[in-house]
Amino acid sequence: MNKDVKISINGVAYEKSVPLRMLLVDFIRDEAGLTGTHIGCTYEGRCGTCTVQMDGEAVKSCMLLAVQADGREIATVEGLASNGRLHPLQEAFNEHHALQCGFCTPGILMNTEEFLKENPDPSEAEIRRSLVGNICRCTGYDHIIDAIQTAAKRLRQA
Amino acid sequence: MTTSESSATTVSSAPESSDWVGRSFKRKEDHRLTTGKGQYLADIAAPGMAHLVFHRSTHAHALIKKVDTSKAAKMPGVLAVITGAELKDQILGFPQPVVVPALEAKYPTFWPLALDKVKFHGEPIAAVVAVDKYQAEDAALVIEVEYEPLPVVLDPEKALEAGAPRVHEIFDDNEMFALTFTGGQTQEEQDANDKDVEALIQEADVVVKQRFRVHRTGVTPMETRGALAQWDESDGLLAHVTTQRPHIDRLALADMLSIPPQMVQVIAPRDQGGEFGVKAPFYREPILVCHMARKLGRPVRWVETREEHLMCVSQERDQIHDIEVAAKSDGTITAVRDRAIGDAGDGCEGVYWGFLMPFLGAALLPNAYDLPKCDIKLRVAFTNKSALSPARSFGAFPARFALDRAIDLVARKLGMDPADVRRKNLITELPYTSATGVHYDSGDFLKTWDNLTKTIGLTAFRKEQAKALKEGRYIGIGFAVGAELSGVASEVLVPMENQPGYGAATVRVDPRGTVLVFEGDAPGGQGHETSLAQIAAQEFGIHPNDIVVKTGDTSITPFGSGTIGARAGSYTASAVSIACRRLKDKIAVIMAHDLKLEDATPEDFEFKNGEVIYKGGNIRKTFVEMTNRIIMMPLDLPEGVDAGLDETAFFEADKPMICFSCHGTIIEVDADTGQFEIKKYVTSEDAGTVINPLIVEGQVQGAVVQGISNTIFEEFVYDENGQQLTADFENYQIASAADVPRVMVTHAGVPCPHTPLGTRGLGEGLPGPVPAALGNAVSDALQPFGIEITDLPLRANKIWAMIQEAKKKTAA
Amino acid sequence: MYPAIIEEYLAPATVADALAAIAKHDGEATVFAGGMSVMQAIKARLIEARCVIDLGNIAELRGVSVGPDGAAIGPMTRYADLVRDKKLHGAYQALNDAASTVGDRQVRNRGTIGGSLCWNYIAACMPPTVLALDARIELTAPGGGKRTVPIGEFFLGALETVRRDEELMTKITLPAAKGKAGSSYKKWSTQVDGLPIIGVAVYIETDGSGVCTVARFAVGGILPIVKRSAAAEGQLVGTKASDADGIARATAAAAEELDPQGDRWVQAAYRKLLIQSLGGEVVAKAFERATGGAA
Ligand SMILES: Cc1cc2nc3c(=O)[nH]c(=O)nc-3n(C[C@H](O)[C@H](O)[C@H](O)COP(=O)(O)OP(=O)(O)OC[C@H]3O[C@@H](n4cnc5c(N)ncnc54)[C@H](O)[C@@H]3O)c2cc1C
Ligand code: FES
Ligand code: FES
Repeated sequence: MNKDVKISINGVAYEKSVPLRMLLVDFIRDEAGLTGTHIGCTYEGRCGTCTVQMDGEAVKSCMLLAVQADGREIATVEGLASNGRLHPLQEAFNEHHALQCGFCTPGILMNTEEFLKENPDPSEAEIRRSLVGNICRCTGYDHIIDAIQTAAKRLRQA
Repeated sequence: MTTSESSATTVSSAPESSDWVGRSFKRKEDHRLTTGKGQYLADIAAPGMAHLVFHRSTHAHALIKKVDTSKAAKMPGVLAVITGAELKDQILGFPQPVVVPALEAKYPTFWPLALDKVKFHGEPIAAVVAVDKYQAEDAALVIEVEYEPLPVVLDPEKALEAGAPRVHEIFDDNEMFALTFTGGQTQEEQDANDKDVEALIQEADVVVKQRFRVHRTGVTPMETRGALAQWDESDGLLAHVTTQRPHIDRLALADMLSIPPQMVQVIAPRDQGGEFGVKAPFYREPILVCHMARKLGRPVRWVETREEHLMCVSQERDQIHDIEVAAKSDGTITAVRDRAIGDAGDGCEGVYWGFLMPFLGAALLPNAYDLPKCDIKLRVAFTNKSALSPARSFGAFPARFALDRAIDLVARKLGMDPADVRRKNLITELPYTSATGVHYDSGDFLKTWDNLTKTIGLTAFRKEQAKALKEGRYIGIGFAVGAELSGVASEVLVPMENQPGYGAATVRVDPRGTVLVFEGDAPGGQGHETSLAQIAAQEFGIHPNDIVVKTGDTSITPFGSGTIGARAGSYTASAVSIACRRLKDKIAVIMAHDLKLEDATPEDFEFKNGEVIYKGGNIRKTFVEMTNRIIMMPLDLPEGVDAGLDETAFFEADKPMICFSCHGTIIEVDADTGQFEIKKYVTSEDAGTVINPLIVEGQVQGAVVQGISNTIFEEFVYDENGQQLTADFENYQIASAADVPRVMVTHAGVPCPHTPLGTRGLGEGLPGPVPAALGNAVSDALQPFGIEITDLPLRANKIWAMIQEAKKKTAA
Repeated sequence: MYPAIIEEYLAPATVADALAAIAKHDGEATVFAGGMSVMQAIKARLIEARCVIDLGNIAELRGVSVGPDGAAIGPMTRYADLVRDKKLHGAYQALNDAASTVGDRQVRNRGTIGGSLCWNYIAACMPPTVLALDARIELTAPGGGKRTVPIGEFFLGALETVRRDEELMTKITLPAAKGKAGSSYKKWSTQVDGLPIIGVAVYIETDGSGVCTVARFAVGGILPIVKRSAAAEGQLVGTKASDADGIARATAAAAEELDPQGDRWVQAAYRKLLIQSLGGEVVAKAFERATGGAA
């Protein structure tokens, strides 16, 4: 009931034998030791704190089995900064105080990074709807919107 | 203005200005939290760690006839299975004095696992420890419990009736707590006061009498609870716990597990995924985790599931207020009578016991209004629900709703604008002591209020409203206020929670001119690492990046009661300030001695831009020079001055302090469907001196959205058998970004005269005014139908039904 | 919570292989489409999935084609793909509407139209939408035998359909519009993009002068299953976009006929109201799309 999988996370291949029932989020956290991806739900897949990208698309890693990611590319928050340089979203979140406890932040970053590729110049209403799958309990969202707008602008100019 | 990006490990160049307090300095916490390097409880592991999973009650009220763990014990990976019956002989039970308030109440006896009876759906009955968390869950699921169901009691009013099923057999009835908050200490005084209030109601020009009810809801954080315990025969217990009060947990764990306290170390992880009061109680689960780690001699971790969390904790509010407000024709309120009822659930919870929230709610009922004559009585019932656990705006949320809604009803009867009635009754002269004995130290309520009505544009709105009505559009404006305790002084906290109220901090200066600040409390997103660094930076004239704040570890931080009641900005910040000032005095004395400045006093020295400056002669030394000299070269010190730069300060306010917040909102209601939209939400704050405006803005916006979410979306629902139906995020609905408006935060404060920097803590009570503001706005919009919102949650379908009812009445 | 032990996981690349695997497990296997519903059930341990057959690698089950004979949609087409698909605009645009309001971005990146139809949750968005579009469902059994079921017969009770355990849904076809056609879907939930309390989908065909010749009015969020309202459809035929009274009569007729029940979210009367208010909006939108008012 185990399977050998090869899952690439942030460009690093993890080859492991995992139980078939292991959730992808547990593979990322417990097997790869990347604990920036969080868990906030029991079974419902609602909160979004576990959001990662699979082959470039935002998905909830608590709603997938690890074996479903076999041979695929996973991107987590740990891979967002490159060569020691923060991603514009990470910088903007700091500037706008878009996080308090930070528990929701990795999921929001990974969802939004993809969203801004799809919609580089979103309105406030579009940003709000893009965040429906990511609950933040601390901030009230306004600073998150501000940060996403700032980052979007910088990404457009880059 | 730039704020430095330099790394915290090197001494930064002197800043362009040494005013760090009042700046939106970018948070120091964010780098790790935005790169996935935060270490929350579930991210911390220990070698050989095992996993604990609870088996919880599927009944709300039942006798436990049998617990069969034999199948579970044989499951793969299982190390131990434990039941309440076994546990009872191994550790002590509740209540333990350190987590019992000094208030008279019925305190139930209980153990971390149920013994012979369960009292709510979700109560832990047994637990499994296994090497793998999946296996632990497999085993917990096959534990078999034989129940004998008992009649359930869910409605607090019914629970208080004679003959109601008893939640706790050891007590004669379900009245857990009852108190008269007004009139005096003796029965005679209180009776006399009640008579006075009755007389005032009789002779008033108008009286409003109304029942208000706020549902069960709370502020569940995104991170659930958890504990990781490690045991070592010689070192004792090391427990990582999601908690706001590690020092109290340490004492309580020592007591319950009979471990000498010096052998217990509790660490609240520096990263906690939100707390909001929910992580303030001393809960039963971590006790068992610690016990099992000791018993098995290996690390044990429990990470709560969301289902467990929503079943067992973060349920708050849930009060009924039968309120009467008497007023003169000019709008002056002459008397308030309130009969409040609280629902404590089963009340089994260390520190708060399910009734302290309604207790404080009743005490805070008079709010920022000058109401010299009140008759306020509260009864709190045991029911077959989970114990109330605190949630931001502790107990006050329903009380605020009741009184601030009632004020609008008074205005209606008088034909006045509710804003005018509100303003007329605000406290104008401070300090002030309310009829319930709550002390309000300072502030300018009228200024804060006037700033709100001006910012939201009340006058222009009334014109727009009249015009809109002609077009068949229903828009309304609503206001509410909140005078909140900003930090809770020992004067209040000792009787209320049997714990001290002071703020504590240790400041340790390094020879290299950098500073460590130790805080015994345990933040969870409030940005203490940044704001406390700003304070120490302000005091020493160095850069905040040269200061590191350590929190939550009982072995290195000074004793504190915890991150509770918005005390960081007031109490803890002040303790940091005082400790810094004592060290500055010491540095000044030594510098004066070194320079042979015989007449110099510490006041003659200034700490600025990385230098210590003798103002008298403009003699400068760098801060580093001085700290290195004092710590590393303790030669030739002035007489009576010892070496080192290490100071712990405890700040206690003479009297409790408050902060003040006014909320205003504009809502449009679609009269055809009852659906409504919040068009505008504005607050006006008196938070004293603001340490970091961006952090404060974030606190206010977050709290308001929590209030909106509680008022409109969130609701804990039990069915008639006491089954909890909302223990997941699909059914317990929290507002998303698309559900809420922008929140505009404005300030009209005055510095607090009772703290070194003029700061007040803010944040705890901010959701409080939200439900009344929303309810008032919807009612204002629907005045053509004569509709008054009295029950929460505020939902479109209920509003629509009220409109239908009103239309029927006018038709008839 | 975690899934119970899974003994086998297969991700075949063809329908034939998938069907063979299903046959081998006697229909006891658990099929994964996007997994957004079935994983909830597995994690809650309502389903013990001993063998999982993941359809994610089967390219032939994905995609949308629109031609003169109508439209064909692969059941593994994800919401995210439907949202972006402009080929559906006009007659089938209700699919764009519905897909764009399912849950959230992450759910739309995984969840599929076929999964939604096979799961048949009472408050789902796709069932009323395909009902209004008069879809036909192709089911394929091991061995390759196919049958096609009109959507009106496909849904049985809550979480139940006529699909047999060993069958796969392999295609969803939508008939071609005869006149100018437009469709629309809208839902109301307590939260933006939440599970609908009521969702209404409407399909309208019009003649050259904008008079409705064919109407299909379907409602989700009522017990026990998604339903069409013949009364409303009868009233709509012959109306025009400008005939507000006629449309109101039609939606009122739907509310009466479907007679929804109350639950702990809303009372029955409010569901009736929603059928009318949402119905009015989607009928207007469908007319607009049929008559080329807006895309
Ligand atoms: C947070 C959240 C929010 C949501 N909000 C909404 C919402 O607003 N509206 C809404 O409609 N839905 C909502 N959903 C449900 C979502 O739409 C699901 O994606 C959908 O119901 C099922 O689609 P799926 O592809 O994920 O199917 P799966 O969960 O993979 O499968 C569901 C069932 O269908 C069977 N199945 C799937 N495909 C086939 C096939 N081709 N042949 C045979 N059997 C098959 C599977 O065996 C399984 O039993 C939400 C889900 C989540 C997690
Ligand atoms: S943990 Fe995955 S959505 Fe909440
Ligand atoms: S910052 Fe705490 S949940 Fe978003």
